[in-house]
Amino acid sequence: MKKTITLTLNGETRAVDVEPNDILLDVVRDKLGVKSPKYGCGRGDCGSCTVIMDGRTVRSCLILAIEADGAEIVTVEGLCRDGLTPLQESFLKHNSFQCGYCAPGMTLSATELLERKASPSREEVQEAIAGNLCRCTGYTAIIDAILETAGK
Amino acid sequence: MAIALEYEYFKPRALDEAVALKARFGEKGRFLAGGTDLVNNLNDESCRPQAVIDLKGIETLKRLEMTSRGLFLGPLVTFSDLIDSRTVKSRYPLLWESAREVASTGIRNRATVAGNICSCVPCMDSAPPLVAYRATVLIRGPEGEREIPAAEFFRGPRKTALKAGELLAGLLLPRPPKHGAAFLKQKRYRGEDLAQSNLAVLALEGKKYRVVFGSVGPTPIEAMKIEKLLEGKALTAGLAAAARKLVRKEIAPIDDLRSSREYRFIMAEVMLERGLQAAAARLKGKGPAYGTPLV
Amino acid sequence: METTRVVGHSYPRIDGKEKITGAAQYVDDIEFGPNLLYAEIVESPHPSALIKGIDARAAKKVPGVGAVVTGKDFPYKFGLYMQDRYILAQDRVRFVGEQVAAVIARDPKTARRAARLVKVDYKPLKPVFDQVRALKDRKTLIHPDLGDYEHVPWFFPRGGTNIAHHRKIRRGDLKQAFEESDVVLEDVYHVPRYAHCCLEGHIAVGLCDHSGRLTVWSSSQSPHTQRHLFVGALQELGFSHKDVRVITPYIGGGFGGKAGVTMEILAAAFATKTRGMPVKVRWRRDQEFYNTYMRQAVETRIKIGATKDGKLTAFEMENFWDAGPYVEYGANVVNSSALSATGPYYFPALKIDSYCIYTNLPAAGPYRGFGYSEMLFSVESHLDRLAKKLGMTPLALRKKNLLRRGMPLSYGAGMTENNLEECLDRVAAAIDYGKKEKSKDPNKVIGKGIAGAWKGPAMPPNASSSAFIKFSEDGSLNVLVSGIDMGQGLLTVMAQVASEVLTVPVEKIRTECPDTDRNPYEWQTVASHVTWSCGNAVKRAAIDARDRIFETVGRAYKYNPESLYLEDEQVKCSTDPDFAVAFKDFVIDGIMLEDGTFRGGPIVGRGMFMPEFMSTVCDPETSQGGHPNPHYTVGAGGIVLEIDKETGKVRVLKAAEGFDCGKVLNPSLVEGQVIGGFMQGLATALYEDMRFGEDGAILNPNFTDYKIPTALDVPDEIIPIIDVETPQHDGPYGARGIGEHTMIPVAPMVANAVYDAVGIRIKRLPVTAEKIALAIREGRTEVE
Repeated sequence: MKKTITLTLNGETRAVDVEPNDILLDVVRDKLGVKSPKYGCGRGDCGSCTVIMDGRTVRSCLILAIEADGAEIVTVEGLCRDGLTPLQESFLKHNSFQCGYCAPGMTLSATELLERKASPSREEVQEAIAGNLCRCTGYTAIIDAILETAGK
Repeated sequence: MAIALEYEYFKPRALDEAVALKARFGEKGRFLAGGTDLVNNLNDESCRPQAVIDLKGIETLKRLEMTSRGLFLGPLVTFSDLIDSRTVKSRYPLLWESAREVASTGIRNRATVAGNICSCVPCMDSAPPLVAYRATVLIRGPEGEREIPAAEFFRGPRKTALKAGELLAGLLLPRPPKHGAAFLKQKRYRGEDLAQSNLAVLALEGKKYRVVFGSVGPTPIEAMKIEKLLEGKALTAGLAAAARKLVRKEIAPIDDLRSSREYRFIMAEVMLERGLQAAAARLKGKGPAYGTPLV
Repeated sequence: METTRVVGHSYPRIDGKEKITGAAQYVDDIEFGPNLLYAEIVESPHPSALIKGIDARAAKKVPGVGAVVTGKDFPYKFGLYMQDRYILAQDRVRFVGEQVAAVIARDPKTARRAARLVKVDYKPLKPVFDQVRALKDRKTLIHPDLGDYEHVPWFFPRGGTNIAHHRKIRRGDLKQAFEESDVVLEDVYHVPRYAHCCLEGHIAVGLCDHSGRLTVWSSSQSPHTQRHLFVGALQELGFSHKDVRVITPYIGGGFGGKAGVTMEILAAAFATKTRGMPVKVRWRRDQEFYNTYMRQAVETRIKIGATKDGKLTAFEMENFWDAGPYVEYGANVVNSSALSATGPYYFPALKIDSYCIYTNLPAAGPYRGFGYSEMLFSVESHLDRLAKKLGMTPLALRKKNLLRRGMPLSYGAGMTENNLEECLDRVAAAIDYGKKEKSKDPNKVIGKGIAGAWKGPAMPPNASSSAFIKFSEDGSLNVLVSGIDMGQGLLTVMAQVASEVLTVPVEKIRTECPDTDRNPYEWQTVASHVTWSCGNAVKRAAIDARDRIFETVGRAYKYNPESLYLEDEQVKCSTDPDFAVAFKDFVIDGIMLEDGTFRGGPIVGRGMFMPEFMSTVCDPETSQGGHPNPHYTVGAGGIVLEIDKETGKVRVLKAAEGFDCGKVLNPSLVEGQVIGGFMQGLATALYEDMRFGEDGAILNPNFTDYKIPTALDVPDEIIPIIDVETPQHDGPYGARGIGEHTMIPVAPMVANAVYDAVGIRIKRLPVTAEKIALAIREGRTEVE
């Protein structure tokens, strides 16, 4: 039973037809063409699918698309529309990412933290991104970049 | 990743509508709150509903506030809501600590306490604190409203006291006496993990203790023998060690993929001792800050 | 080493901006249009069974289903080093999860529903899971036709058994050497299977158009090797290499798991059935665990002898590898690790037998370290124990027996340039090794451990790299290589090499992701060899371009080309200080003479590197005489850990790794390999714990129960020591590889530190908190 939902995606109003069994991650990627949230595990364990929904980070692989009717969704494409954020500049400077697959989800989780907490401790940074798995980097350069951004 | 199951989706605007939909579909209707459990189950088809009833359109279900009967948690209250609440942190620190142990930020922003206890998986983190705080479960059904103590809500793995057509309408946590608390969780590392065992400890003013284990039996276990041993006594090292010896008489863990039975016993004993010490210290305003890992 | 302007500096990676803005495209991000089809695989529930029949009639009738394919549609074998593998199972299945059939449909939900309707009739056979049992079992043969399989000449399969390969190395008189030893120690170690856990799983899209052109987009470390294997496997369909194109955009991690060919061949094959429409095969996370390559498990029996002054005398080792049912790649893991099984230490007498054994557990193969992590766990643990028996420190024992340059490797060739001694000393100093520390917490104890490590690139003797460089009108460059960047930073480092030669700033250089039609040949991005091999090719290409520049400018302006040099994107002349012409003025347009004619034209450079000194030819009974490894990167690791005696939990207080990878071309990127490799190694030691059911099915094919570290599990202090830099004589600016090595010392240094802390010797990985706690409770000194 298809339903037309309307949502705000990176600042733009989008309307899309969805079935009740469509998953938000798939609809954002395949129907709305925004590719930065990724499929990593399909169970909410890895954080690759993270998007910001109504101001909080969520695992879009565990959300039915139809639940997003009326929601406001932000991905990294929306964050850097007007240029890189200080956090992104810091990631570049520190060579924080390697394969880059975890980068969008990680960036959103870190962005959420920095918006809610001005001067997080190292442990608070680690906790905020603990749900974003990275297999390449060992996290150190990611943590350093987030702390440096907070320090400014 | 594609859900092959087909079902109808409803988003009622009022509680009565939700209850009526559930009555209509019975066992084949499933409530959807945060979805961190249900969507996974739809994907692996461990759950095959005909209707999914999304509760997030009912604003009143999001309430988290102090009432005359204590703290009211609506069924849409998330773990992040608990963590962000100064009321919860200061008045119900055990619940606050347990909320922080659930999964990760992105899950906690969606997962609800109600969803956690309605899933009734043995490893649920919110159940031991609710039992320890003597919470009441508010239930709404086709025949009206009823209440039961949290301890009676859990009947077995994935089996709650909810009858056909009923919905968990909220949780009430009575105002507790002055207390110190500790929530401990056996995990395989510091990152996100499902509990291999967990423990809620309250040290109440007046030398009373509440000790509730989770994930070491089909439902949460209040350790009555241990509580009786401790009652009326100040917590000394010797008393904590004696309490520790009773753990194996209280709990019934299993061997599974995540932990052996023996290691669960070992961890439960260590968590009890450290939990009691931390809770007793915190009652006096000392001890490690809430949120410090103790194991 | 020469002083350099660009290499040796920590440039920000050139793909960084793409990756942090979401612009970086991985295979699943490419739009293939409304005709894209989706495949869902029908998998075997049995670890070993005959396939009696497949009934796909009901599945074919489902609306939206385009085709249902089985092994009968693709009766072709393939394999990298041995042809023992099929696209879809033929007459039998050999592991739980093996692909038996596929439904190809218009959308994934339809494919999933229809796949369930495919009925397969099996006759279960007796499976064999234990590799030592499989070794001896002559009746339960996993590959009854093994004796007929094609393979590379340096493999020795034994038909009529489950032994896919047996590498033998012999030197000296072992019996006498043990008799002359004052101390002999023998024991058995077990290293289980592990999973790569790339965040991006395997995925491939195949499109075969009506002109007979097959294109495969894949997440792969090996586009040219994939193309070659696809052509070989599908040769009955008449494809030549020019008709097959493999495109690899950015990949979300590889770690060896995306080397060679596994599931990608499905997309290539299916595409030939759905001509004109692309078909996507995307692995779910659980398939990623059980149907790609796992890291092979090994049971190692090791016996080492030494004289009482600490000189190692004799080394005897038997390795029984559980390689799964298809070893077309994994057999080389067994082979190459055996050749270096001693670790970076000299043993005059040695006897090594490594058996690659078929089992009915999931397919296994290459993983970062290529057998060395598996192998050296036993050696580096054993040396610590031997040191104790000798009354020496583990550090002193290692230092006394290092394989220094020129000393004979186990196969006779001379050890290459390295400074392992400095790596060991500096790592030991970084963790204050030898100084016992006490924990502030009475429940906890602190222990320290070290381990050495080494690895040579495991590659055929003719593995090669090539590169093209082309200029654009504004003087910017494209570097075209088929080495891939899986995160290690290859694209950036190749740009740095080109920049060093040509003076074009790194910001004006683009290193392209591979497309086998456009980018010249690279064997594979594996073996930690592309910095060296592809770097050489790029340097040669840049020099070639530079020579073209000098030749053109010399001709046009009448200068001797040898008097010209490059500076700041300009050509200058040592004999004429006023002369300067900018690249952008001529690298496409040529140079106009006074008479209005032009000289020159587009500047392109080409370069190639293939080592001409390597050989696998050797005595098959002793392995003496070959030159299978071009060089070695050596190093060491040290760790300080704190153990809670009650819970067994391990907390890493400090870790250090020192590696000698020759000239460090980009320190920031090499440090990234140290930290990332350390954490991946730490995870195999402490957290990752793969379990199988009695039926051979993996019980934890997900991150819920197969734990890879999170940000909360990172120690506060990881010290990379990377400036040892003994130059690689034949590497670009003195560089050699480092990608795999940083993982190798970690599991044994953890085991050694656990022993130091609580006196328990762990001989079977992983070293979980549970194992430590139980061992402490039971008063055990060993965990087997």
